[in-house]
Amino acid sequence: MEDIRLALVVLIPLIGAVVSYALGRAAPKVAGMFATAAVGASFAVVISLWRALEGGQTFSFTLSSWMSFADIRLPLEIYFDKLSAVMCLVVTGVGSLIHLYSIGYMAEDESRPRFFSYLNLFIAAMLILVLGKSLPVIFIGWEGVGLCSYLLIGFWYTNPEFASAGRKAFVMNRIGDLGFLVAMAILYHACGTLDITVLSRPEVLARIPSEMGFVAGIALFLAATGKSAQLPLFTWLPDAMAGPTPVSALIHAATMVTAGIYLMARMFGVIELDPMVPAIILWTAFATSAIAAIIAISQNDIKKVLAYSTVSQLGFMFLAVGVGAYSVALFHVVTHAFFKACLFMSAGSVIHGCHHEQDMRRMGGLAKAMPLTCLSYGAATLAIAGIAPFAGYFSKHAILESLAHAHNPYLLAYGGLIGVGATAIAICTAFYMTRSFILTFLGSYRGEGHPHEAPMVMTAPVMVLAVLSVTGGLVLNHGFFTYLQGPLPPVAEHAGGGILGYILGSVPGALGIAAAYVLLVIAPAAKEQVRKVLWLGEKLSAGKFFVDELLGVFVIAPTRTLSGVVSRVLDQSVSIGTGNAIGSISRAIGELTCRVTTGQVSTYVLWMFASAALLLYCFLPVR
Amino acid sequence: MDPITSYLGIACLLFVIGGIGICLRRNAIVLFMCVEMMLNAVNLAFVAFSKIHGNLDGQIAVFFVMVIAAAESAIGLAIILSVFRSVASIETTDAAELKW
Amino acid sequence: MSFMEFVLAAIGIASALGVVGFRNPLSSAFSLIVHLLSIAGLYALLGAHFLAVSQVVVYAGAIMVLVLFVLMLLNLKSESGRRIGIVRSALTLGVGLVIFLAISGPMLAQFENIPQATLEHNVKASEGTVKAIGEVLYSEYMVQFELSSLVLLVGVVGAVMLAKRKNVQLAPREGGMRGGN
Repeated sequence: MEDIRLALVVLIPLIGAVVSYALGRAAPKVAGMFATAAVGASFAVVISLWRALEGGQTFSFTLSSWMSFADIRLPLEIYFDKLSAVMCLVVTGVGSLIHLYSIGYMAEDESRPRFFSYLNLFIAAMLILVLGKSLPVIFIGWEGVGLCSYLLIGFWYTNPEFASAGRKAFVMNRIGDLGFLVAMAILYHACGTLDITVLSRPEVLARIPSEMGFVAGIALFLAATGKSAQLPLFTWLPDAMAGPTPVSALIHAATMVTAGIYLMARMFGVIELDPMVPAIILWTAFATSAIAAIIAISQNDIKKVLAYSTVSQLGFMFLAVGVGAYSVALFHVVTHAFFKACLFMSAGSVIHGCHHEQDMRRMGGLAKAMPLTCLSYGAATLAIAGIAPFAGYFSKHAILESLAHAHNPYLLAYGGLIGVGATAIAICTAFYMTRSFILTFLGSYRGEGHPHEAPMVMTAPVMVLAVLSVTGGLVLNHGFFTYLQGPLPPVAEHAGGGILGYILGSVPGALGIAAAYVLLVIAPAAKEQVRKVLWLGEKLSAGKFFVDELLGVFVIAPTRTLSGVVSRVLDQSVSIGTGNAIGSISRAIGELTCRVTTGQVSTYVLWMFASAALLLYCFLPVR
Repeated sequence: MDPITSYLGIACLLFVIGGIGICLRRNAIVLFMCVEMMLNAVNLAFVAFSKIHGNLDGQIAVFFVMVIAAAESAIGLAIILSVFRSVASIETTDAAELKW
Repeated sequence: MSFMEFVLAAIGIASALGVVGFRNPLSSAFSLIVHLLSIAGLYALLGAHFLAVSQVVVYAGAIMVLVLFVLMLLNLKSESGRRIGIVRSALTLGVGLVIFLAISGPMLAQFENIPQATLEHNVKASEGTVKAIGEVLYSEYMVQFELSSLVLLVGVVGAVMLAKRKNVQLAPREGGMRGGN
């Protein structure tokens, strides 16, 4: 069904991006409000569309015909079904809250209009990503969010470190994009279409030869690892914390990094063509999640903790993807968006209140100074730790339960092992989140100056998200999976209910919280003992598992050598040689022809008369 | 030769002389005068045609050519003046700023 | 061809050559006045009396006065010594000859065999007296006539604007300057 509202959803933030930048000179204060209003309006339109969505109905809208040549036809078409609806609601809903928060956070920044323009552009690109009807359109959004991410990470580009963090994110994303392109090429070659509604049909997917199916699935997963920060491409996400905190909340926690999950859910037919692919996803996700959780334990920068936590939680989502429980993964996307955005924004308030201090060792005791922030951070911590009945509990529990139901021929008996490992990761998560909470809010203040509570415009959206982190899971748990059964395969109905189930399910989270509390507050002496026992783990954790260094040795150095050779052989002899030859030929022709234009009127007139004479001679017979 | 066709021959000759003048001279005002001469050659042909065909249309055309020539001379000479102001010469070889 | 016609045609061609040939623009201008007057004479012989008068008044009078005025104003000397190359001249003359042959040949052939009777009848009909011209001009060519006044107005305004403007100056010319390099 065509619906013009669908176009509005995308166009409003796009217009907002242009206008808020244009407003920059005249009224920087209005720019933020305008941008927020644009996203809010988009959110309202999404809600109205979502309310109109009944049964298996979908909306679509053709913005324009983009490419049309030979038998390739690529309309710029957007599409709204239940899966898009969930993503759009999260993007615009959480997005508008973060916009509101940014008004306060960026109040003193000179280039606010640029910031809000980028943010709005990001929302527009993200909406194109989740609304695209064909893979190329999704790819536009995919690249768009990558670009905005780059622009926003390097927002304070005068700091070379921040600028290089942006570059790193961009380059790593490009590696993933290569996978996206390869997957598109294979799918187009095999199926003759890139329309996601067609590509989800089994009879179309059956046309893909089995070996190609594996490559396509892996290529798509490579794309997802780039965008969603999975091994081996996850190191850009912690570095991305160079950007302003609202950016971290919006892009690097709530929305963009979940694009990989969305792509997996959208293309699950392709992923499942070869059972090897889900198995690879499962193991990669498990490794990423575990490594990131261990690294997070030893981080002292509050945003870095949250960044590694995000990587770890994304790994959790991919665990669900690996066992085919896509709606469970989506559920975790939603709850994670709530509590992680809340955590990031609380952290932003803390950083704002502590005069741009990010090191948790110089915080402490902030509970008194910033009670509202403390409250929301605490609620979100409980949510991410997986304590019932907070939001994280339901989604995490659903993931753990779907792991138990996993059936994959390549997984053999290790399925149960991953389940146990995932539970251990959940304990870890609870541990490091509690650690960050204790270091930040409990004890006594260790920094300089006087921390102060953030203004209302910042605390209000944080509180809203905190409430969502508390209640979101409970509300959505009923019906979320059945709601998504149209576009996604059904998942096994899980128990999880009942008071006893809640208590048992909260045990891992409670264990982690208790461990952190014991080690940090009750018996700090025991910490050294534990450190000695786990020295290897500490080394790895502090060194971030040396992933960057390994990439440097095994990927970057060979690439550099290869490109050096290529540049010497190909560039300097072949390309430059041909280029110069072509250049000098055209230059010679130009030199020759420019002799005609002497600038002398009489010459021109002579040419004119000569041509006239020629014409007359040819067409008027001289009798 | 018939008297009427001899007028046409003279007109052709004057036209070509004017054209040759444009090709050979460099002074912008002389060029302008050569153009006027070519216009006159055509006018002469028009009047001759008018006589051959026995109506006044040709002479009316000459009238309009004169009107245009008057306007053209006013603007053309003004352009020559302003060119002279900027390059201090009215030789066309000197006003060649736009060549490659 | 009557004697009068022959003399006027000879003067016309000679003065035309003078316009092209004189090195001093002032001589060229006076030569052109002679040329225009001879053409006016030819008009009169062709029966276009009104045009003959207009030619004298508008061309030989107004326009040439304007040209002479500009020449005097600019106070120019003869063209600089740079001579036109022999190749160039030969080429120009050759092209001129071809054009002359190409135009005059067909044109003369076209009107060679017109019966003398029709011609004499037509001469009567094409008598370009002021009255005859006026009648045609104010009836058949009314709109064009009015529009020509507009053209003149635009010409006047344009000339004033062009001649008045003083603040726009091109950069001083450098020897051997090549634009774009």
